[in-house]
Amino acid sequence: MASDQELIIQFQESINREANFTALLKKHQQKVYYQIKRMVTDHADADDIAQLVWIKIWDKLDGFKMESEFTTWLFRIAYNETLNYIQKQKKQLTSPSNNDLIEYEHATASSDSPKSTEIQIGLDSAISQLPEKQKVVFMLRYYEGFDYEKIASIVGTTIGGAKANYHQAVKKVEGFIKQL
Amino acid sequence: MEQHTEDNIEKDLAEDRAWAESLLNKQSLSQFNLSKTDAPFNYFDSFSDKVMQRIEREKIEKTNSKIFFLPSFMRPINKWAVAAAFIIVVGGSFIFLNNSVSKKTDASIVANNISLQDLSSEEIESYVDANEWIAEIDVQTQMQKENARLSSLDEKQIEEIKKTITQ
Repeated sequence: MASDQELIIQFQESINREANFTALLKKHQQKVYYQIKRMVTDHADADDIAQLVWIKIWDKLDGFKMESEFTTWLFRIAYNETLNYIQKQKKQLTSPSNNDLIEYEHATASSDSPKSTEIQIGLDSAISQLPEKQKVVFMLRYYEGFDYEKIASIVGTTIGGAKANYHQAVKKVEGFIKQL
Repeated sequence: MEQHTEDNIEKDLAEDRAWAESLLNKQSLSQFNLSKTDAPFNYFDSFSDKVMQRIEREKIEKTNSKIFFLPSFMRPINKWAVAAAFIIVVGGSFIFLNNSVSKKTDASIVANNISLQDLSSEEIESYVDANEWIAEIDVQTQMQKENARLSSLDEKQIEEIKKTITQ
């Protein structure tokens, strides 16, 4: 499989633009979708935002200078588009209420997905209560395994800021779970 | 002070990570990841086609907006722009036509003046000759009026007029 850089160079040289773009998209679509869905939770919203992200990538890929990694740029766009979408929709990503937790457990118990444990429900609630930036930093660090430099570039902060956000996120998650 | 704070954060991060890893073991994390981020069946198989179709649609929309010479943010007011353009065209035509008519009238007047000035003596005389009978009638009428006036005068007034003429 061609690297991101090769695909982008061919795209920028107008060599099979659609094919190269589609290859790039298929390579990263899952990560982008999951990242967005962790923030908005609703599939329809995540789908819409993901499409907007890739349309923006198509529009701006000619001007991408490869000064940073493509994934850094991609996740930064995804992060900004998600925030814009949330602000437009005026959604509050608060933690589920106790009733919602019970419904969540029943829903996952009855579905084909693996049964959630109490700790997972608590973790879900804790993460959803975090402020946006801390949530994103936590998820990028834990689920994507990005280093702090990359995370800082995505969310538009310093390396120290990214570390501080992660530290705060973990403290809050710990505090929330201890209350359960 | 700042270095001390940073060192503390680094230490706390290391401790937190150990705690988090013990609490959130990889299995529960992976299960959480799956349960939270399940995508519908075959979603990713068709996602790229969906995106490319949307890109094509937006390309066509952009082309159409260029044809109508209006950027998308102006489209809500294009009916007013059309109405204003209509008024300007009609008003402008009206003003233009009026100016054309008045210019023509002036031109014809000027043309007449110029033509009169440009007339030669022969042309004027021939005109007079052609219209002499009208002039004669005018003279006759005038003479009759004078005769009527004179006949109303007494002999003394007539004598005075004669003296004036002969002097």
